[in-house]
Amino acid sequence: MTTVQVSHVSKAFGEVKAVQDVSFEVFPGEVFGLLGPNGAGKTTTIRMMLDIFRPDRGEIAIFDGKLTEEKKNRIGYMPEERGLYKDLKLEPTLLFLATLKGIDEATARARLDPWLERFDLVDFRQQKVQNLSKGMQQKAQIIATLLHEPELLVVDEPFAGLDPVNTRLVKDIIEELRQQGKTIIMSAHEMYQVEALCNRILLIDHGRNVLYGEVSKIKRDFAGNALAIVGQGDFATLFDSARLPAVLPGVLEARQHNSAWHLTLDVGVDPQDVLRALMRQEGVRLERFEIAEPSLEDIFVTVVQRAGHEEAAYA
Amino acid sequence: MRNFWLIAKHEYLKIVRQKSFLVGTLWVPAMIIVVMGVSILASLGQRGKLPLGYVDYTGLLSDAVPLTVGADGKASVTMRAFPDEDAALAALEVGEIQAYYVLPEDYITSGRAQLFYLNQRPGSVTRDDFNSFLRANLLAGYPDDVQQRLLEGSAITFRSSDGSQELESRNVFSFIIPFAAAFFFVFAVMNSGSYMLQAITDEKENRTIEVMATSVRPEELIGGKALGLMSVGLTQLGIWILTGVLALFVALFFMTEVQTIRIPWTLLAVVALFFLPAYALIAGIMTAVGGIVSDLRQGQQITGILNLFFMLPFFLLTLIMAKPNSPFIVALTLFPTTAFVTITMRWAMTTVPLWQLAVSWVLLVASAGTSVWLAARIFRIGMLHYGQTLRVKTIIARLRAERL
Repeated sequence: MTTVQVSHVSKAFGEVKAVQDVSFEVFPGEVFGLLGPNGAGKTTTIRMMLDIFRPDRGEIAIFDGKLTEEKKNRIGYMPEERGLYKDLKLEPTLLFLATLKGIDEATARARLDPWLERFDLVDFRQQKVQNLSKGMQQKAQIIATLLHEPELLVVDEPFAGLDPVNTRLVKDIIEELRQQGKTIIMSAHEMYQVEALCNRILLIDHGRNVLYGEVSKIKRDFAGNALAIVGQGDFATLFDSARLPAVLPGVLEARQHNSAWHLTLDVGVDPQDVLRALMRQEGVRLERFEIAEPSLEDIFVTVVQRAGHEEAAYA
Repeated sequence: MRNFWLIAKHEYLKIVRQKSFLVGTLWVPAMIIVVMGVSILASLGQRGKLPLGYVDYTGLLSDAVPLTVGADGKASVTMRAFPDEDAALAALEVGEIQAYYVLPEDYITSGRAQLFYLNQRPGSVTRDDFNSFLRANLLAGYPDDVQQRLLEGSAITFRSSDGSQELESRNVFSFIIPFAAAFFFVFAVMNSGSYMLQAITDEKENRTIEVMATSVRPEELIGGKALGLMSVGLTQLGIWILTGVLALFVALFFMTEVQTIRIPWTLLAVVALFFLPAYALIAGIMTAVGGIVSDLRQGQQITGILNLFFMLPFFLLTLIMAKPNSPFIVALTLFPTTAFVTITMRWAMTTVPLWQLAVSWVLLVASAGTSVWLAARIFRIGMLHYGQTLRVKTIIARLRAERL
């Protein structure tokens, strides 16, 4: 039994192929990440899932069948384009949206108080939405998504616009929902934000499946493809993207994070070869060289660049 | 269906709680109250005044019959004879009379008389009363029934050969009511239509479309909004009608003309029949415009032009009055956007044939259905085009591609 089953869906807007032959499944009780850079096709895929767009090709099943009006009430959706009725007060807006999801107003009202308290919005319940700060509106949107206690939660860029404290709060809530057995689909372009939360992921780029599976297995498969380096020398010049392939063959990308540099290696590249190449560089003094667990971002870069190289070679 | 009613209720309450709605609705009753108040005060002010004097050089009023029933059914003043103008002027100056007439010797042949007053000319009711007094005495030698007929004049009823319409010559309201119905109907429908445009563009501007689209069907969303906003229009119309009826009820006690009003039930039935499809047509058009444009302002520019298609008969009033059955006016009767106003305005002038009413209604219903159907699809295409205006080419391409 699957909560969501997307099979070979494609969608084009005029000449632009937004999604091409994307497939994945989401199972009950898991947190699924739909990851990829901006413009990869994540939002279009979600919109097709929720019948906002109709796919040009392919099939989509929600709760083992076509998405019906009754099933819509079992879904909570927080779109990337956040929006609430700005000229209405917060409480009536949230109650109205909840009642549209099939619950009565009394139930919605009873559930609303704890959420308002948790998000520190109690004092603003009778304020017009337009008078709330952007962060408050974001929190209100999260409440609107959760108030009817959906079985399936679809959140597009859940942490966009949130400060670190509220990001932590939302992560905690997602974790709680997972423990309650809810199914959660999260879309994000900042992969580090969601990788710790997800059971499984689909990496998507240019509208195509890039990588799909369990996060732990993917990381195991790509272990050894990431290095962390600390030292002295002009690493910024050394790791300049234009020079990088010549200086360190097999290194796809170098990013600085605090005092360390993170290198992403192509598949099959031996870290020892990279170490030797580094030692040959003048003016470089290594203090730390370690094989790091790759982040999803490292893995994404590896896979996308490899795919790019293969395409170039094929051409 | 539950969501349909929830949205209708939500939209209704959202609008009627706005200050702009209260102001927009209450100005009509306020205006009616002011006009009625002024009319009643003017009417009251003309009663119980000082006597009206006259100097009669013709000898016709030497044995004058006093005025018992004036022009409005009540005698507003008493008449007082003076032997000459000096005596009348003296009485006027000391405030014994409000004014005096002088009937010269040749009054019978010339019909000319003079009215003298100090500062304020007597009102029309007082002047009409003097005319009645004069006519009654001129007819003094005739039998009572002839006198009465000549004084009251004829009451001609214009009736169509099929008996479907009646127009009474004395009843000015049978002429005014169709025009008032047309005006208020168009005002209410256009008002609701503009609310509809606002409701649709609000969803886009507030970015709430996506959440709504995953909660309700587009048809429920649009239908619920349309019903809620139509109820707003009906509430507004209801308040106006109720105020009008109350005003007429009060006026019954002060203005005798009001007693002659006959309610045009057939016209009201036609209004009721045309209201829903006409509203659906404009709601559909407004939804489609809301789906296409990027914001309310742009939508208002477009609907400003579209509204002309509904208002056109008002600009052709002279033509409708002069030639109510000309081919062009018949065409306007059949054309969906102009049908209602043209029919109501023609109602005051002529008999609108049943076949024209039937064809007009069928065309209106068909175009209303098409507009709602098309609007739902355009809305679906345009709902996620935030900040962009849809092109016609895009709409057609998407309609074909998505088989919506």
